[in-house]
Amino acid sequence: MADIVMAYSASHAPMMSADKESAPPDQAERFFGGLDKVKQQLADTKPQAIVFMTGEHFTNFFLENMPQIAIGLGEGFQGPLEKWLKIPKTIVPGAPDLAAHVLDELVTDGFYPSFSHRLKLDHGFMTVYYELDQTMELPVVPIIMNCTTPPLMTLRQSYEFGKSVGRAIKSYDGLERVGLVGAGGLSHFVGEPRVGDIEEEFDRWFLDQLEKQPLSDELLDMSNEELAHAGNGTGEVRSWVAVAGAMEGHKATALAYEPIYEWINGMGVISYQA
Amino acid sequence: MSLYQVQQCLFDYLRVLEDPKTEGRPEISTEGYDLTDDERKVLEAKDVGGIYSMGVHPVIINGYCRALGYKRADYRKLLEDAAGPQTETRRFRWQTS
Repeated sequence: MADIVMAYSASHAPMMSADKESAPPDQAERFFGGLDKVKQQLADTKPQAIVFMTGEHFTNFFLENMPQIAIGLGEGFQGPLEKWLKIPKTIVPGAPDLAAHVLDELVTDGFYPSFSHRLKLDHGFMTVYYELDQTMELPVVPIIMNCTTPPLMTLRQSYEFGKSVGRAIKSYDGLERVGLVGAGGLSHFVGEPRVGDIEEEFDRWFLDQLEKQPLSDELLDMSNEELAHAGNGTGEVRSWVAVAGAMEGHKATALAYEPIYEWINGMGVISYQA
Repeated sequence: MSLYQVQQCLFDYLRVLEDPKTEGRPEISTEGYDLTDDERKVLEAKDVGGIYSMGVHPVIINGYCRALGYKRADYRKLLEDAAGPQTETRRFRWQTS
């Protein structure tokens, strides 16, 4: 059976790749310092594949067909979609057997994700993945979550979904070591009058909440309406909460938090003791 | 009127702009979409505030403004003007716990 040998969540602002230099150097250094720590965890634990949860940005799905969750079953995934991201275009290898197992177990567990052999990867995936593995050879199972187009999963549903993902990974006997990543958030506002704002209070509170075990009802019972007041892009923290569900009972440590206004994003990293 | 048609038109336009084969920045094509005259005018005028006021999804607005080369401060102003004064007095759980 597979062990989850490393798990973390991180922000995925496009400008962390596309315009890295625009951030104050000390802030960028502290944020990337957090990512360096998880890169070291990768070197230490050598996962054979990564299950990677991130938000949809109308890259793979649009309003004619918008699943809440989609799993990539392909042998490989083209990315990044964005021409301007400053990450080399490549085919990221998939982990189709692990993906099929996770899908099967999720359905057995009462979740009904969409699935695709042709997912494309945008900044939501590529920014964090590239910082983890610049060779881009680490096989992945992408899980795309709808975080911006209502109706949306609640944080509690995301948590339960994450628990199911964790169980699915641990019941897979085709690999020994699997990593788990959540990407998105923290607070940010896009395409609306508060674009550029960051809800620092929310971000620090949220990280504090994730460091507590088990997660509180105060966090998990927050309505989608209230969460949206922390930013209309902030709902991407559903992937972070899903990772927390998968890693329930494991100590979580915030490795970095920087409100980087030049990147219009609260930038954080949290890691779990495997 | 169909907000979906407006959004589909903008979505398709963004895909054209993202296509590596596309040169420069062509004008949006509103042909083939079931739009009212007012919707067509807003799209052809590149009226960011008008697009926001119609209820277009913020992810589309974000991509659209980026594709048109707007600086953030400039399109924030357009969106603020379209939204009008906002007052939020509620305190949220991350501010009170």
